[in-house]
Amino acid sequence: MTVRIDPEENEIRALKGVTDWHGKRVLEIGCGDGRLTRRLVRLGAVIHASDTDAGLIAKARKNLPKQFAKNIHYSVGQAERIDQPNESLDVVVFAWAL
Amino acid sequence: MVHALHEAHRVLKPNGLLLDLRPAAVHRRVGTAQDDGYRLLWVMREGFDDDRAADRAVASMTDEGWFKAEGLTRFACYRIMDTLDDFQVWLADFMNRGKVPSHDWLVQRLRRALEVAAAGTRIVVSAPLVLRVLRKP
Repeated sequence: MTVRIDPEENEIRALKGVTDWHGKRVLEIGCGDGRLTRRLVRLGAVIHASDTDAGLIAKARKNLPKQFAKNIHYSVGQAERIDQPNESLDVVVFAWAL
Repeated sequence: MVHALHEAHRVLKPNGLLLDLRPAAVHRRVGTAQDDGYRLLWVMREGFDDDRAADRAVASMTDEGWFKAEGLTRFACYRIMDTLDDFQVWLADFMNRGKVPSHDWLVQRLRRALEVAAAGTRIVVSAPLVLRVLRKP
């Protein structure tokens, strides 16, 4: 079984045009299995990625490329209770999550 | 949703960006694709109540001055599946989220379409995405 979502990478192209991601501290809410997270980290961001589904977070951790292990931090969590300090992030992405 | 947006506001630095990325409120299109082109099989008739609620939540945050709207981009997004099993997984999730009632007949229709299609034919679900850019003042 193979599924490809946004093979043309229109999504990451649009996100890339919004800001310079290099060195940015980013929270991705609704990361799922990490599909978009793995694309964002290639732009140089440090990403905290969360999802309410523990199974998807486990899958995301399993699929985490070693070279990006220091720059992606996955956790199970809800958008209504973000486990981050006040005024600590440069970007918050609601990824198909609102 | 408004609570989640307030949480995002709390953790963002001043001048930080909130990016709201999600499918546009447009019916998803299901079809098949092969080397010689695309064939539309069905346009889903999902509801958009959740999308409109999210739009209202974002609008209330900007109206109240928590965020400033900076831009909106809309672009195509395709989900390409190699097998009917892949499509059924997607459809089950779509139905579980209350988007549409049972569409077993669509699975049968796709099955028939794939049986007579050339090898390598894929199933394509398309829906545009919208990226809203908001900035914390």
